[in-house]
Amino acid sequence: MVRDTTLIPSVSQPIPGLDLAELRRAIRDEYGVVATDPARGFHFHTGRRLARLLGYEDAWLDGIPEPTIASFAGTGNPFALGVLRDGEFVVDVGCGAGIDSLIASRMVGPRGRVIGVDMTPSMRERALESVDALGVMNVDVELGYAERLPIPDAWADVVISNGVLNLFPDKVAGLQEMARVLKPGGRLQIGDILVSKPVPVSAKRDIDLWKG
Amino acid sequence: MATVVAAGFVGCEITWRADVFSGAPQASSAAKFGTVGINFRARKPGTEREWLEAMLSLACRT
Repeated sequence: MVRDTTLIPSVSQPIPGLDLAELRRAIRDEYGVVATDPARGFHFHTGRRLARLLGYEDAWLDGIPEPTIASFAGTGNPFALGVLRDGEFVVDVGCGAGIDSLIASRMVGPRGRVIGVDMTPSMRERALESVDALGVMNVDVELGYAERLPIPDAWADVVISNGVLNLFPDKVAGLQEMARVLKPGGRLQIGDILVSKPVPVSAKRDIDLWKG
Repeated sequence: MATVVAAGFVGCEITWRADVFSGAPQASSAAKFGTVGINFRARKPGTEREWLEAMLSLACRT
C-alpha cells in the first residue's frame, strides 16, 4: 500500500538539499568523540549525571562498565514508558555505547534478546566491550543505519531508542523501519527531543545545527 | 506526533518533557528553538484497518 504522507501538513518531510552523506559523517564524527573522549564536554549532557537527570534508577546502572555509562548521551528514558517483560525481543535503534541495550538485557532475562544497532563504529566497539566484560549472552550489537535495520520483519516485541530519531533526515522512513521490525501490537518506546519553535529550512540544511 | 502515526503507528502519546540541555558544557542551539527532551510511546497496530482509522482521524484534525 502506498502511504503518501505529504498530504498531511504536520507530518515531517525530508529536507530538500540536505547532504545525507555529509550529515552522517558529521554525526559519526561527533558521536565518535563521545565514545572515545566522553569527558571533553559537548552541547548536551552525558554520562551518569545525565542518566539521573532523565530518571534512570541507580540500580539499572549497577555493574554496567563505566565507559558505557560515561558515553551515554540520551535525551529521554525509554524504560519510563513501560516495563520490558521476561522473554521479550528488543531492538535498540542507535544504541551508542550500549547502556540501554544492557539495561534491557537484564529486564528481558536470558529467554529474551536485545539487538543494538548503531552507525558509529567506535560506539559499537564500546558497546561490544561492555557486553563482553559482563559476559552477557542475550545482546548483539550490529553496525548499521536506522533506516536499514539488519533485522527481520516482525522480529521485535519492543523497539527502544534514545536521542536518535531527531538525527534522522527522513523521520517517516526511520519510523517506518521501526514499524517493519516490530510484531503487530509491538511497542515503540522512545526518548527524543521536541522543537517548539519553527525551524527555517536554511537551518534544517545546516549540518552543524543537527549536532547541537 | 502526526509523523509517528503516518509512519504506521497508533496510540502515540508523549508522557514526559523536560529541559535536558541547560547547563551543558557547550552552548547549544537547543534554547534558540525551544528544544526539550521527551518520552513518547506508540504501538504497531494489529491490523491495517486500525492504522487507517488513526490516519483518518489525523487527516480530519489537520
